[in-house]
Amino acid sequence: MANESEQEKKIGLLLSDLSSLEEYINDLFVFAPLPICFVSLGGMVFEANPAFEKLSNSILTDIIGTPITIFFKEKEIERLQQETIKSGAVEGREMLFSPKEKGKMAVQVFTRVRQDEEGRPVGYFLSLFDLTKIKQTEENISQTQRALLNILEDTEEARRLAEEEKDKTKTIIDNFTDGLLVFDVAERLISINAQGEKFFNVQSAGVNGKSLTELKEILAFLPLILVLGEKLKETFRQELVLKENLVLEVSAVPVLSYGEKTGYLVSLHDITREKLIERMKTEFVSIAAHQLRTPLSAIKWTLRMLLDGDLGELAPEQRDFIEKSYQSNERMIGLINDLLDVTRIEEGRYVFKKDYADIVSLVNSIVSNYLDEAKEKGIKLRFKSTAKNLPAVIIDAEKITLVIQNLIENSIKYTKPGGEIIVFLERRKEEIEISVRDTGVGIPLDQQGRVFSKFFRAANVMRMETEGSGLGLFIAKNIVEAHGGRIWFQSEEGKGSTFFFTIPAKKEFKQFLEGF
Amino acid sequence: MEEDNKTISWEKIEGKIRGVVLITDSHFVMKEKGKETLLAVEGEMVKLGFPIKYEEIKTMEFYPLSVRIASLLAIKKVCGFSEEKIREMGANAPKISLIIKLFLKYFSTLTMAAEKVSLLWSRHYTVGELRAKEVDEEKKVVILELGNFTGHPLFCQYLNGYFSMVVQLIIGKAVTSQETKCPFSGDSYHEFTVTW
Repeated sequence: MANESEQEKKIGLLLSDLSSLEEYINDLFVFAPLPICFVSLGGMVFEANPAFEKLSNSILTDIIGTPITIFFKEKEIERLQQETIKSGAVEGREMLFSPKEKGKMAVQVFTRVRQDEEGRPVGYFLSLFDLTKIKQTEENISQTQRALLNILEDTEEARRLAEEEKDKTKTIIDNFTDGLLVFDVAERLISINAQGEKFFNVQSAGVNGKSLTELKEILAFLPLILVLGEKLKETFRQELVLKENLVLEVSAVPVLSYGEKTGYLVSLHDITREKLIERMKTEFVSIAAHQLRTPLSAIKWTLRMLLDGDLGELAPEQRDFIEKSYQSNERMIGLINDLLDVTRIEEGRYVFKKDYADIVSLVNSIVSNYLDEAKEKGIKLRFKSTAKNLPAVIIDAEKITLVIQNLIENSIKYTKPGGEIIVFLERRKEEIEISVRDTGVGIPLDQQGRVFSKFFRAANVMRMETEGSGLGLFIAKNIVEAHGGRIWFQSEEGKGSTFFFTIPAKKEFKQFLEGF
Repeated sequence: MEEDNKTISWEKIEGKIRGVVLITDSHFVMKEKGKETLLAVEGEMVKLGFPIKYEEIKTMEFYPLSVRIASLLAIKKVCGFSEEKIREMGANAPKISLIIKLFLKYFSTLTMAAEKVSLLWSRHYTVGELRAKEVDEEKKVVILELGNFTGHPLFCQYLNGYFSMVVQLIIGKAVTSQETKCPFSGDSYHEFTVTW
């Protein structure tokens, strides 16, 4: 009896240990984070842990007794099983796993064969490592790599296109008939085209990279730098006599990139031929005018003699005809004189004799000379000066008189009876401003840009007035600018015009001397 | 089979079973009906005179065979299971039974499993003897004979499902199974024929 009781006690202890062991194994199996299952040699799943349930999206009782082939490709899993039986284990085989009602996923498979007491294989443990995230990362890396390659290809393509475009642009620039010079933002020459090289008789390699100061040291560039200045600025159609028989028109514009100034483009347009034609034309006009003036003067004096009765008394009708002929001849002489002034201006031979003058008295005297003519035409002419204690200004009084006369005459010509002309003289800081305001016909807006051009006559005045050479304002502009002043106007067709011009009020004695 | 539970002489039922059998019962009820129903089953067990808590059952511990029979009857009554459902409960048991897991290594072939079938039974029950009467893979039939064991007609359904699942696990194919002999039909032993 005692033995039996002892046996039962031992069995009890063993059962208790067995239960503890079962719990331990169960806890370990449940804890294992890797999906694990046991597969029989017949390919049936006999056991699976919770991690396998989760990964396969199935519950345990549905998994047990299920062929392992439902989770893998049949041929792949058969091959894996054969290798496991043969080698005892397979490690890290990449395969596709098919969870229930889910898409295939990449896994790494590890197997280990299980044997019975006699060493015969009875099945194998199979565990899985989910590669989804790794594959996703790999795919992301791969996509990034592909994207980078695409970007590289695009960049290369863009670079090639840019290169092509650059070559095209370079070809165009090189073959451009104008000389082109490109300066960077630091005002260093970065490019000169073939025509530019030809103009200055230099090679680009020898001048590229040089600053304006350095270029000034090269004799051929000196005239250009004098025109452009030591500091590059916007320049428009400045004339440049580079050498004998080579006259260029220089323009400089800033090069902008996205609104940011990145340098300057200087273009040199060859106007030698135009200048030659212009000179020939001027010479022709000059010769023609001179040739015409002599007989016209002879006619003038002959007619004068007739009118003065040196050759006998004239009948009233004869006097009237000769008077008209005399007036016409005078207009002809005036035109010839204007033409000669223009040719002198263009040839740079227009001589200015500057001296101190009382501008208020000068203007007042000129206005006074026109009072009768204005009155005859029914126009009110006035002079208003707000300037007090004006210093004497240095001007060529004869030429400035021509300017004021021209402006007043124009106003009288183009103002209808009943109108008004006011000549103003005002002091404005460092200059004296003289203006002639009328209530005349005004200048059409579309023609205002050409007012100071040679031979310009507005369409509306050509209909009402046949007299006038169209040279007066051209000459006036040149006279004013030769005095360092400015000339401009405001006009509205049908309401009137106001012409303004300025003369510098202060002149240092040194500058005065420089005028000679 | 519709025997009144009160007419069963529980004390006359001899033998013991391993706790794993009761654990597989509770697992199936939990899966199909949930915790509340399992508690109701325990209540029914109290009425039958077996106040047990399924959670406290030890896998390897021995319990009276009468508890196993009472458990089946209580589950059928409380859950309203049909005989087919009881059969399904039997088929579910090998999938989660720890003792079956210990025998998995013998489930590589039918022949190997047939050699161990007697051992497998004795690991679960202290009464009755199970043997493989016929194993013919060509004819696709396995006949199991369970002698010296009466049990209960409902238990026959349970075992029918249980054996069919064991064979299915081994051969990896769907099977059909039926009890071809039964003491409750006048035979001297139970016989289960599994075909596929």
